[in-house]
Amino acid sequence: MLKIAALILLALAACSKRQASKGFDPDTYNYLTFNDADSLDPQYEYDSASEMVIHNIYEQLFWFEGGSTEKMTPLLATKVPSRENGLISADGRTYTIPIRKGVKFHDGSEMTPEDVRYSLMRAMLSDREAGPASLLMQPLLGYPATRDDKGKLNLNAYKDAARAVTVEADNVVLRLPKPFAPMLSILAAVPNACVVPKKWLAAHGDWDGTEANWAKFNNPQKQTSPIYEQADGTGPFKLVRWDRATKETVLERNDGYWRAPAKLKRIVIKSVDEFNARKLALQAGDADSIYADREVRSQVDNIPGVVVLDDLPTMEMNPMLYFTFHMNAQGNPYTGSGKLDGDGIPEDFFSDIEVRKGFAYAFDYEGFIRDVDRNKAIQATGFVPYSLPGHNPDQKKYEYDPGKAAEHFKKAFGGQVWEKGFRFTMLFNTSNQPRQSLCQILKHGIEALNPKFRIDVRPIDWPAFLDAQQAHKLPVFILGWNADYPDAHNFAFPIMHSKGMYPFDQHYANAEADKLIDAAVYESNPAKRKKLYARVQEIEYEDVPNLVIHDGTRLRVQRDWVKGFVPNPIYCDPPYGTCFYTIYKSTATEAAGK
Amino acid sequence: MKDKIRHAWKLLRRRPASLVGFGLIAFFFAVAAAAPLIAPPEKNSRDAYLIPQDGYSPDPVRPSAKHLFGTTEQQYDLYYGMVWGTRTAFRVAVVVVASSLTVGILIGGAAGFYGGWVDELMMRFTDIVLAFPDLILAVVIVTVTKPSLSNVMLSVAAVSWPSYARLLRGDVLSIKERDFVSAARALGASDFRILSRHIIPNCIYPLLVVASLSMGRIVITAAALSFLGLGAPVGYADWGQLISLSRNWLLGSNGNPFEYWHTVFIPGFAIFFFVLGWNLLGDAVRDILDPRQK
Amino acid sequence: MTRFILKRLAFLPLVMLAVTMLLFAILQFLTPEMRAALYVKDPRQLASVEQIIDKYGLRDPVYMQWGRWVVQVAHGDLGYSETAKMPVADAIRAFFPATLELSILSFIPILILGVAFGTLSAVYKDKWLDQLTRLVAITGYSLPSFVLGLLLLMIFYGQFHIFPPGRYSLDVDLLVHSDAFRHYTGLLSLDCLLNGEFNAYLDVTKHLILPAATLIYIDLALLLRITRSSMLEELGKDYIRTAKAKGVPGPVIVRKHALKNALIPVVTLSSLIFITLLGGVVITETVFDFPGIGRWGVVAAQQLDIAGVLGSTLLASGLFVVANLVSDILYAVVDPRIRVN
Repeated sequence: MLKIAALILLALAACSKRQASKGFDPDTYNYLTFNDADSLDPQYEYDSASEMVIHNIYEQLFWFEGGSTEKMTPLLATKVPSRENGLISADGRTYTIPIRKGVKFHDGSEMTPEDVRYSLMRAMLSDREAGPASLLMQPLLGYPATRDDKGKLNLNAYKDAARAVTVEADNVVLRLPKPFAPMLSILAAVPNACVVPKKWLAAHGDWDGTEANWAKFNNPQKQTSPIYEQADGTGPFKLVRWDRATKETVLERNDGYWRAPAKLKRIVIKSVDEFNARKLALQAGDADSIYADREVRSQVDNIPGVVVLDDLPTMEMNPMLYFTFHMNAQGNPYTGSGKLDGDGIPEDFFSDIEVRKGFAYAFDYEGFIRDVDRNKAIQATGFVPYSLPGHNPDQKKYEYDPGKAAEHFKKAFGGQVWEKGFRFTMLFNTSNQPRQSLCQILKHGIEALNPKFRIDVRPIDWPAFLDAQQAHKLPVFILGWNADYPDAHNFAFPIMHSKGMYPFDQHYANAEADKLIDAAVYESNPAKRKKLYARVQEIEYEDVPNLVIHDGTRLRVQRDWVKGFVPNPIYCDPPYGTCFYTIYKSTATEAAGK
Repeated sequence: MKDKIRHAWKLLRRRPASLVGFGLIAFFFAVAAAAPLIAPPEKNSRDAYLIPQDGYSPDPVRPSAKHLFGTTEQQYDLYYGMVWGTRTAFRVAVVVVASSLTVGILIGGAAGFYGGWVDELMMRFTDIVLAFPDLILAVVIVTVTKPSLSNVMLSVAAVSWPSYARLLRGDVLSIKERDFVSAARALGASDFRILSRHIIPNCIYPLLVVASLSMGRIVITAAALSFLGLGAPVGYADWGQLISLSRNWLLGSNGNPFEYWHTVFIPGFAIFFFVLGWNLLGDAVRDILDPRQK
Repeated sequence: MTRFILKRLAFLPLVMLAVTMLLFAILQFLTPEMRAALYVKDPRQLASVEQIIDKYGLRDPVYMQWGRWVVQVAHGDLGYSETAKMPVADAIRAFFPATLELSILSFIPILILGVAFGTLSAVYKDKWLDQLTRLVAITGYSLPSFVLGLLLLMIFYGQFHIFPPGRYSLDVDLLVHSDAFRHYTGLLSLDCLLNGEFNAYLDVTKHLILPAATLIYIDLALLLRITRSSMLEELGKDYIRTAKAKGVPGPVIVRKHALKNALIPVVTLSSLIFITLLGGVVITETVFDFPGIGRWGVVAAQQLDIAGVLGSTLLASGLFVVANLVSDILYAVVDPRIRVN
């Protein structure tokens, strides 16, 4: 027993000594986050953790300048096409993209226009299930998938893609079936437009780019891609190792980078589930930045040597509450009795606009922003977040007003709702605190109106949620929307278009909104587009198919020696998903102060 | 009967540890019984087990006159949660032990009594369930049946019955051969009668000893599932869940590592003393019912 | 003896097969959409859940999915664990050494302390040593591992900033994965010593101490109790009384006679304890963010990663059967009166 105690003491002494000797390392950057990548294949992955790694290894044709979500700068292209420089044709359907020369992949081979063509083709034709392929297919081919609803392959897809993407001299030329305003935005922001090496991939058993073989590589298994856990890009960092057991990715500087090499030599991105562990590593200086939710903001304040950058813009609408206009009544455990008898709701409960308006007026937006956002957010005015063009700060919005809420409920279902009351279940996904609070605040607001109004709030785990949501059984559901690329269309379509993801689930359709959204995506004049989206947001206010809650901000927690961070909401999972190229570590100002 | 009770009391008095156990469980029982008095639910509350919230701010607040034990993250009143959670703890312990005991008796009893292929079949099934890592099996069951308190009870019962079944089967096997059983059979008693009147009563005591000793373990397993986020919904008075709400706040605030001590210590020690109480009581029950162990 | 062992080993694949059948039987209750949840990583994918169901054949009846799995395993492929993001065989290779290391480090003290103090406690029945031992045992038996784990973290990590969670620090992590570092045994602390990296060894040990302490305190209780009661029973037997009457000194009686017989149940129990540790200690590994089999298994179970659950449970149930076998053999070795059959 004594021996053990002595050993422990010895170990303790040794540990404390080691800790003290650890110094500031300007070359290595440690970032601790909470989730690990899913795949490093840019044309397979569709999640922010993977995107963060990919954006540092691979490159796209263009990139957004500084913190802008509009102004682009060429990367693997040499010019950003526009009507002015003639690289976009007058009809808006042909894009000529001059490709940069002398750029090398990490394996030493030269990047050519053919690689660019191959990459865009691969992004469309590999088309893994529930993947990002439609983002490029919709504008380039005019249809969103290579397979129909029954999973049958469209054999013309290769020919269509080959027609749309061609190499002409040193240019890659894109020919669109119809003009598509966010085309460049998509090429710049969506990681599956990253350029991958054709030769290297073909040599490692992936698609060789021929028509004969493409079907074999359609809808692939994640782990069969040669760039699932290896990487060969043109970017400022090379992949050293992705260790899925310890959930960490190690990158090192690409000294042969075509621009000036990055300032950091090595980057370690590690997933640590427990917030406390991340915080302690940051405190000790072992981590340079960590992921921290808004919920734990109070715990990262006032740590010596740590700074919190707050009020950073986001490109998301999260959370949002969606009403289901027609629910599936069969075996539905969430609608109570299934009738308007005070103990349930009928399947078309939310198709009555008075009910939806009643809900919109019964939610305490300010309270949510005060308690959940710690006042670091503003009330949203529509589905376009404030970081994007198309946002309209003057759009009317709902305020918390129990009087008006009661007024609307009294009109609902010819007064029956008010008289008989209702009861249903509202679900949020387990351990998502903001969504939980949203439910509770709404429940509180509604139940205070009329003792016959009852809402049960329950958490639900992901599988069960998916099951109920896919079966249209949820009376209301709460989800967020993280943008794929910075354009109002990427919000308008999934949130307001009847063929979009959410209205389809809600059974909501507004013919005018559909028309406006379709028109806006083909419109090339930014001012006109803005007007069209403003009108769609007006419709959102009038129809109340959903409740937009807040325009949130994010915080970044880092050591004070981290310099050069550029906040741009386009970077995946902003602002944690950093592009490390601009970042460096320096204690210079501190030294000067002394 | 009176003598027996007196005898039990004498034994209990001789072991102060058992008295402590008895006291602890009595205390918790009193808290559970008096819950509506010492922690009255809010007027418009539909379910008294839902802990009232004082706002939605994420930061826990330290104990004060308004909140005797302070609040957890998202402002759940810890005192209220602890008091009503006592009821949940009793419910889980009793329901799980009773149901797994029933299953254990049915399967073990049938296996031992009928022997042959029935025995073979039931015992192999028992072996398979035993071979399963129990917490993982429990998690699979809860996830499949959707997380809720009743499903937690179901899953814990589903992994706890095999030890009872095994124990009972062994005892039944030995008692079956005794004279009074053969006599009953010769008199033409039915299987059910022999089993329920002669065999089970004669081997129930060791089973009860084991059951009372496993009470504490079961509470821990159920709390562990809650801790993993698989138990009752957030805000439901349940100790395991209350302690899982403390996970983000372990390190306290900067400069004061024990700033949020109450979020860990209070529910943690409640579980500890509750389980300790059952374990001490279990020891006492063993001493009283199982004279071999004295 | 050999025949007995062979017979029992032949039983092993049957148990494992039955375990997987049981698991698939439970999964019968899932809808295809619930099974698809594992592959939906982003709400943006919600519109195409049908495609996921088609691709992975999730609509097929459970017995077909089970059959597919068995055929696959027969071809030597344990499947792909979506939560571990690697093939199941690789996942076992990645997580098992960590669990093994933790198990060994916890088991040795449990065995030594348990037998030593259990025996002493029986010999000095009702003296202060016995009372203390029993107090340790009953409190350990009553403490949930997550409560103890969180308290230890709060004190040693939050207050004193030592013993962090995880398996090693970032710099050791880089060292361990460098090309120069040779993996001789798979046990990281041992490998560090073999590589001459003493600092890394200390770091790895430092990360093991709190989870090991948690496991020791909790599992020690069982062994203490069994040793004590078994020893008491033995000491009460006639032959011991005779030996005492003949004037054989107390320590000799304990060491030469009683202990040997009293150890029989201890052997069984300790092999079971070791196996439970090896099968993964779910909660302790979760609390200390320790990348072992148990944490993988429970994450897989929570996310319904069927291949992952199958992998981790097969390992645990296989170990369980083997452990039972070993303990039966040990039984026979320790006590020649028992014949295996």
